[in-house]
Parts: sequence; structure tokens; C-alpha cells
Amino acid sequence: MDLTTNSMLLTWTVFTPAIGLTAILALLALRPLLRLSQQAVDEASRAIGLMASLAAAALGIALWADFDSGTSNLQFIHRFVWMKSWNIEFFIGVDGLSLSMVVLTGVVFLAGAIASLPWWGRLDDHHPHFSKKRVPAYWILFLLLEMGVLGTFASQDFFLFYVFWEVMLLPMYFLIGIWGAPTRKDPDGRTRGGPYAAIKFFLYTLAGSVLMLLALIAVYYASGPATLADGSQAQHTFNLVHLTRQAHDGIFVKAGAILGIPFVHIVFVAMFLGFAIKVPMFPFHTWLPDAHVDAPTPISVILAGILLKTGMYGMFRFNLQIFPTGVVWAAWAIGILGVINIVYGAFVCMAQKDLKKLIAYSSVSHMGFCLLGLAALTPQALTGSVYQMISHGIVSPMLFLLAGVVYDRAHTRDIEGFGGLAQKMPEYTALTGFAFMASLGLPGLAGFVGEVLVFLGAFAAQDGIFRVLVAISALSVIVTAGYYLWTMQRIFLGPFNHRWEHLHDMNWRERLTLYPLAVLTVIMGVWPLPVFDMIRETLNTLLASMPAGIAG
Amino acid sequence: MTIGLPQYLVVSGVLLALGLFAIVTRKNAVAILMGVELVLNAGLLNLVAFSRFGGGLDGQVFALFGIVLAAAEAVVALAIVLQVFRARRSVDASKACELKE
Amino acid sequence: MLTNLLAIGPELVLTLTVVLVLIADLVIGDRPARRGSLAVLSFAGLAAAAATFFLLPDGGPAAFGGLVSGDGLGVFFRGLFLVAAFFGVAFGALSDEIPVERFGEYAAMLLATTLGMSFLVQSQNLLMILLSLELVSLPSYVLAGFRRGDSRSSEAALKYVLYGAAASGLMLYGFSLLYGMAGTLDLSAIGPALNAKAAGGSVGIRAGIALAALLSLAGFGYKVAAVPFHQWCPDVYEGAPTPVTAFLSVGPKAAGVAALIRFVVIGFGASVATPPAGGLPWPVLLGVLAMATMTLGNLAAIPQDNVKRLLAYSSIAHAGYLLMGIAVGTPDAVQAVAVYLPIYLLMNLGAFLAVMAVRAKTGSETIADYRGLVARSPALSIALAIFLFSLTGLPPLAGFIGKFYLFAAVVKAGTPFFYVLAIVGVLNSVVSLFYYARLVKAMFLEASPDGAPAVLVPVPVGLLLAILAIPTLVLGLWWSPLADLAARAAGIVG
Repeated sequence: MDLTTNSMLLTWTVFTPAIGLTAILALLALRPLLRLSQQAVDEASRAIGLMASLAAAALGIALWADFDSGTSNLQFIHRFVWMKSWNIEFFIGVDGLSLSMVVLTGVVFLAGAIASLPWWGRLDDHHPHFSKKRVPAYWILFLLLEMGVLGTFASQDFFLFYVFWEVMLLPMYFLIGIWGAPTRKDPDGRTRGGPYAAIKFFLYTLAGSVLMLLALIAVYYASGPATLADGSQAQHTFNLVHLTRQAHDGIFVKAGAILGIPFVHIVFVAMFLGFAIKVPMFPFHTWLPDAHVDAPTPISVILAGILLKTGMYGMFRFNLQIFPTGVVWAAWAIGILGVINIVYGAFVCMAQKDLKKLIAYSSVSHMGFCLLGLAALTPQALTGSVYQMISHGIVSPMLFLLAGVVYDRAHTRDIEGFGGLAQKMPEYTALTGFAFMASLGLPGLAGFVGEVLVFLGAFAAQDGIFRVLVAISALSVIVTAGYYLWTMQRIFLGPFNHRWEHLHDMNWRERLTLYPLAVLTVIMGVWPLPVFDMIRETLNTLLASMPAGIAG
Repeated sequence: MTIGLPQYLVVSGVLLALGLFAIVTRKNAVAILMGVELVLNAGLLNLVAFSRFGGGLDGQVFALFGIVLAAAEAVVALAIVLQVFRARRSVDASKACELKE
Repeated sequence: MLTNLLAIGPELVLTLTVVLVLIADLVIGDRPARRGSLAVLSFAGLAAAAATFFLLPDGGPAAFGGLVSGDGLGVFFRGLFLVAAFFGVAFGALSDEIPVERFGEYAAMLLATTLGMSFLVQSQNLLMILLSLELVSLPSYVLAGFRRGDSRSSEAALKYVLYGAAASGLMLYGFSLLYGMAGTLDLSAIGPALNAKAAGGSVGIRAGIALAALLSLAGFGYKVAAVPFHQWCPDVYEGAPTPVTAFLSVGPKAAGVAALIRFVVIGFGASVATPPAGGLPWPVLLGVLAMATMTLGNLAAIPQDNVKRLLAYSSIAHAGYLLMGIAVGTPDAVQAVAVYLPIYLLMNLGAFLAVMAVRAKTGSETIADYRGLVARSPALSIALAIFLFSLTGLPPLAGFIGKFYLFAAVVKAGTPFFYVLAIVGVLNSVVSLFYYARLVKAMFLEASPDGAPAVLVPVPVGLLLAILAIPTLVLGLWWSPLADLAARAAGIVG
């Protein structure tokens, strides 16, 4: 395929948040000159942040509109040599998989941006709302995060990918640490809270990232010659397209063993671990409940909606695309660990008393489907895995926004402490019921398509073990239904708990985020074709590189 | 018996051992410095011996510079010991523990 | 004769500057503009020394009969030390920890240390190495104890001098053994001579070589603050005045690293690619030292409450990363070290400058007093956060590029031992995040203690912070010039 620069649209999409960020910084720098009040600066920051998110989302849709779904070649390429001494290029481009993630990023960040607007309800001194605190800094970090995520999905150069991947970490640390819950001691005397969750997130993901760094360097030195953007020859390369071609020609199979283990296996595991921690895969998932519980609502939305998907995307883009034999080799392990995610996540949810922690574990459970689909390596399973990534990226923001609705009002998430809220907040009840149904995979809503495709695809896989895994996972769907229905029962149904007399139903800001997501959920549930069109060619190409006889 | 190279090496080795022993076990800062001087002189003795019994004059030149070096080091070290003494009325190195973990 | 003098042109200018500063100090006497004019005189001297770099004879011949070498490694580091000296003098002029009436002595001592460092990195002769090392150490001892009334400063100087004197004594003994076995003091001849002796010789000879090498390492290890010669480092860094600590953490450390490269890689010809030099497995030996150093540095930093002590252990850890590069010994690895050290200079000096600024206004060096600094002094907090995250090695900051080069060189080495070393190295980077983030957490995530003073940063300090912070940001995204300079230092490119 032709890898020369052919469009700036993707570049604009990735760097629009950076433009917004620079505008806010300029505003802060010029503030003394223009004699602006704190209020004015806050309002302006919010406006700029909102506009930048809107622009990024719109550009994502524009990319989709202009996308040729008949080919798996990269489109909207922008490529030039960045650091000649290491053959690093600034190389961005999208195929179906990347594009789906870019569009999802735009949508989720837009929802997060709207959810970051001030809380209009009654504020009380004991619970200062995060949306009024250090506003310009919040939006700067928010936009930096968005740029990092968009860049991660658009990168086609391994080094560039790594830089964008790490750029995602710092803003998350501050966003959770500063605007999250204050430090507190839990009943067992352990310190918990925003800063704790933030550093836990940072340490876990950094540990995975540094292993990925070593894998990156090893792949570079094992790679063969390639041509750079300016036409010169390079001895090694970070260029993903070239690496894929070289991998399929078998260059990595011939590479020397590392520590006695075949090159492909050990590099596969190193990269896989880096992504698995982000997914999050059992047993590296323990950072997620802490991060979700203590992060502010929009950050939970972004974390669950899109950040977890960067892990799965990495597995597709690197582990599957460059080392398909590695996926085959590890299929059992990935499949079993995916099922552990599904089952363990579901059962732990049953025991949760904190609403947000429950939704966090349900995220763990749902990402397990993605892992199972990846391991099965059939067209349907892979399609289901990606579809589940997207649908989870729509439904779980809804869930976290809904949790935020009740938290902003009641300042507690204790499920047992509620009761009969349906009488006070009927609209909220309806939406929550809808979201729960979508999450557990009710046919007609988004979650069903992904799950059923993964089941069908895995059942048809070559390896018989997947039938067992599908059976176990299907049974755990019952548990999922169980905890969601039970939660509905405890919070909304039954006699009204008069402690919550003062709660009022949803306001327009919340409606603005939730209804569009709900509509998308229904559309994705009954009309999956557009998304299928987008990802089909890419997944076919990925499967075509499989060793013969694997793809079912 | 002829005093050959091995004899010199043994003597310098003994000096090294004594010097190290002094550095490691003594608490008085001046005594530690004396141990350092012993170690330095062990090295110097080696240099002169090797020069005498083998190589050219390089070793003896090195030794001459080494003597000056040892002297300069002693000056600075003793000045610092004096400064510590003025502050604490003691040259006990084991008592210098204000900078702790 | 002239070529010889031109070859050490920068050092001659430095010597002249030291003398002029001392004389000027006496002449100016007790006037108010004293500190400023002495600082300007020092800067002028440094600039003149930098200018003489253009007069260096081409091709880098060994000058003075082989005592000093004019090769790329030497030139690169001599330039770096002029930069370090500039910041050292500037920090001293801006700090309230250096008494104004003794600033002339401070500047002279600092420039003398720089002189020693410059000679150390170009020394090709055992005698020259020892003399230069002492020229670096002796003024450093004085600088460490510069605050005469402060018992912590005196204690720091005492520990420094006792430790350093012992280390240099051991090194002298080791050098004497090397001389005895090789018959020459010239580094370039020692390697082959020892190789010849080891190849033909008995166990006794090889043991002798091993003993000599280990004792010599004592001196280098002490200067670099590598395990097990690191024990002086936390105490000295904590007790010495902050400008002195800042300079010590970048100047002598870099000089020690460069000298070790010359001693091991160029002198013994030891690298992963070549057979063990002198019968000693240098790569494995240095690799084990590297692992021990970075691990101990990172783990010991975690419980620290004093920021200077924390940064001392962090600099021990960074010495460990550098040792990793020296252990590999290939030209790529030497280039990596040459890329890492300037970046390390920027980050470390920046961090210490911020500590100096906070100490000037709050009188404190403990983490607890950094709480909520972002509200009291946003620019300072952000600058310090940049330096701390760069020290961790996070993209897109310069520290990541340094670590990338080092890890790439280690992975390229390709032996199982070095793969393990690389894994230990990256895991250590993760551990280091823990304690750097503690400081960031205090500044950004916690509220100020009641009655905490506002930390207003004076304009010159702010300017220096910017000068250090901006390259830290820029070099993370565009580092070609540095890479080219480093390649020439490593002798890779002509």
C-alpha cells in the first residue's frame, strides 16, 4: 500500500485537543494583562474544552464519512521522518479498527466534557463539587488526555505509539488525584482515596509500559531494512506496516532466543502484559475498582469508556497483527484468563455494596468477553470482540454517569442505603433500568450483539476447549443479570426510604449526556451493520495472516 | 638474605592491612586519617619497589607526586577535623550522626 | 610545545580564572557589588574557556607525551563541565546558604573542582588520573563544609573527606599494583600488557590483576557513588549547602563516569563484544554493580523525608543506570551514556534549584513542607514536577530519551545477562516513580499546612528554572543535536 501523506484530516483530529489546550494556557498567561476574573477564566476554559471535544468528535465522524470500508489499507495517512538516527517517523493513519476507536474516543470524551460542567444543584459545604475546583487546570489535563488517547489509536509507528501511550498516564494521575475523592481511612484503617487510587493506577500501568518498552526495543533490533518517509533506507524500523510485512515473512521467527525462550514468545508476553494491565485482565485488575470509586464521574466515564479499550486495541494492533503465531500459542491462556475475568468479575459484583465499585467489576467482567473473542480467532469471535469494545464504550459511560447522578445528590453510593427511589426519580429509574439491561446483554441493545458474536465465534473455533469456555461464560451471564436486577431492586423498588426526601430527578446537563448515549445503544443493538462495515476488512486482513487452518 | 621485590610487597601489604584496620575500627578522626596515611604510603612503597625492580622511573615519579598528594589531603582533612572540633568539642567520628536516615 | 598548550587551552584559561577570582576577591573587598562582580568574572572565565575549544588541535592527539588525550570523549565532557560550573556559580550567587563575604572562595573552589574534572576526563595516565581525581575531591571537601557554623555541614565534610581519602588511598594501591604488573603508567599500554600477562600467566597473576582492578574501582566507585562505595553520598548531599550538592551531583559524578569509561572501556578495551580484558569479566562485574546500585538507590529513597537525601539516593540510582551502560561498553552504550549525562545534568540541577528556592523561603527541606506548593507557587511546582517526572523517565520528557538510549544499548548487547539487566533496569524505573511521585503528590494533591509561607521565586531563579526546564521538555521530542554530539564523543562518527 502507498504510505505517503495523503490527508491532514486525521492530524487535525488528533491535535484539536492540543489547540484547545494551548488556548487555555494562553488565557492563563494573558490573564493579568486582560484583567480577567477567576470566574471569567473558568467559564472560558470550560467553553474552550467543550468546543475542542465537540470538534474532535465531529472530525471523527467526518473521518468515518470519508472512510472507504472496502479496503483494509491505512487511510488519512500523515507521515514524515521525525528522528532519523532511530528511524522514527511521525506516522499516523487509520484502518477500520483504529477508526472505530477514534470515533468512540470523540463520543466518550464529549460525554465526559459535558459531564464536567458545573453541577447546578444545591451545593453543600461538606461536599464541594469537583467541577468548581481549579477549572483551567482540569480542562488542560482533560484535553491532554484526549490528545494522548487519539494519538494512541492513530499511531502507526511503534515509538510514536509508545510516547502517546505514556502521555495518557500523567493527566490521569492528576485528574484522579486532584479532582477525585479526598484521602480517607476505610473501616480497616487503610488509607484510601483519590491520591492512593491515582498512584496505584500510575504504578501498575507504568510497570506494564516499561515491559512494552523492552519489547519495542527488541522488535526494533530484530526488524529488517525498510524505507523511510523521505525515501532513504533504514536498517531497522518502527513502522508498523513494514513490521507487519516483515513479521509475516518470518523475520521474527528467525530472531535469536532471549533468555532461552523463543523471541516471538517472550516479546509477545512482554507486550501482552503491558496491554493486559490496561484491559484490565485478571490478576492485574486490582487498580480498576480503586480508580473508579475515587475518580470524579467524567474521569470514570473516560476510564471505562475508552482507556480500557486502549489495552484491547494494543492487543489487536500489536500482538495479533505482528505476532499472530503468538496468539495461537497463547490462545488457551488468553481464553481461560478472559473467562476468569467474566466469571470472577460477575461473582464479585454480587458482593458489592458500592454502586461504582459494582459497575467497575462489571467492566472487568465485560472486558473478559473481548479477551475470549480475541483468543478464539474466528471471524465472528473477533468481530464480536471489537463490537463488544465499542458497545461497552457506550454503555459503561452511561452506567457511570448514572452513578454520578445519584452521587451528586446523595453524596453516597451505598446500595443498601437507598430504597424505593423510583417514586422520587422515575426518569432516572427508567434510564438506569435501560442501562442495566444494555449492560447485561438484552437482545435489541448494544451489549447483545458483541456477546452473542463472541459466543458463536468461540463455539465454532478449532480448538474444543473454547466450547467449554463459552458454556462457562454463558452461565455467568445469568449471574450478571442477577446482580443487576438485585441492584435495581435494592435502589429503586420497594418502600421509599425517607432519608432521600430531598432528591430531585435529572437535570438538563445529565439528560444531554445520557439520552444520546441511550439512542446510540439502541441503534447499535438493532442496526450493527455500519460498525460491521467499518471493521470487516481490517479483521479479515488480520485473520488472513493466520497460519493455515486456524481461522474457522 | 637478599631483599627482593616480594619482601617489599609483603611490607606494603602489611602496611595496607594495618591502615585499613585503623580506618575501619578507630573512632577518633585523626586516627582514621593516620590509617589513610598508612594506606597511601603502602601504595607509594609499592610504586618505588616496582620501579626499582622492574619498570623505568615512572614509579618513582609517581611516588614523589604521591607524597605531595598525601600531604595536601592531610591538610584539608585536618582543617575539616578542626572545624568539626570547633563545632562539637570532639573529634569522635562515631558521634557525628546528626545526618541520619 | 604550542600544540600541547593549545590542547589544554580550556584548562589553562580555567586556572587563570581561579587566580583572577581570588585576586579580585581580595581587591574588591567588602563592597556590596562583590558577589555579582565575582560571579560575572567567573562567567567570563568560563566563556573564555569555552572559546578556546575552537583552538584545540584537530584529530585529538595525545598531548604532553600521552598524559592527556584530545579525543571526542574528553572534549564532550570538558564542555559539559563548563556548563555545570556555570550553573554551580550561578546557584551559589543566588543562594543564601553561601555567605556573601566568602563567595570568592566558593567560586574559586568550584572552578578548581571543574579544572580537576576537566583533567580527569582526558587523563590517559594512571598518575594523571589520580592527581585529577584528587584535584576534584579536595576542593569538594572544602565546599561540602562551607557553612562553618553549621554542624551538619561540618559533619558532611568530615564524612566526605574520611571516605574519600580512604578510597583514593585504596585506588593508589591498586594503581601501584597495575603499574607493577604492566610496567607502564600509560592506560593505552596497560590493557594490552595485562592481557598478555593474563593469557600466559598463573592463577597468582590473574588474582593480582583482579585485586588491582577492584582496588582501582574503589576510587571510581566512590566518585560515582556506586554500591558499595556510596555510603558518603546521602549524608554529604544532605549536609552540604544546596548549591554545592547540586554541583556535586552532576559534575564530579559525570567526571567519575567518564573516567571509568576511559579506564575500563578504552584502557582495558572491555566490552560485551570483546573477550574479557586482563582476564577479568568486566561486563558482568560492572553489570552486577549496576544492578546493586540502582536497586539500593531506588529502594532507600522510598522512606526518605528529607528532599535532599531523597535526591541523593536518586542520584545513586542514576549512577546505577549509567553503570549499566558502561558495563556494555560498546560504542552505542558510550553514546547512550553521553546522551544521558547532559539530560541528567538538566534534570538534577533543576530539581536542586527548586529545592534551594523552597528552602530559601521556608527554611525547610522536608517533604511535609512541600504540601500544597502548587497553590503557593504554581510555576515552581510545575517546574519541579517536570524535573521529577523526567528523572523517572516518562515520555515525552528528556529523561525518557536518556533511558531509552541506555536500555536500547543494553538490549542490543544480546546476552542473557544483559537481558536480565535490562529487566532489572526498567523495573527500577517503576520503583523510582514511587518516591518522585511522593513529592509531586505533596505539592499538587495535598493542602498546604496552616501558616505556610508563600514561596515567591526571585526573577533570576525563575529564569534559571526556565533555562533548565525548557530543554527538558524540548529534548524529549527532538534530540538530534545531542545525539550527534554524543556520537562524536563515543567516537562513532568522525
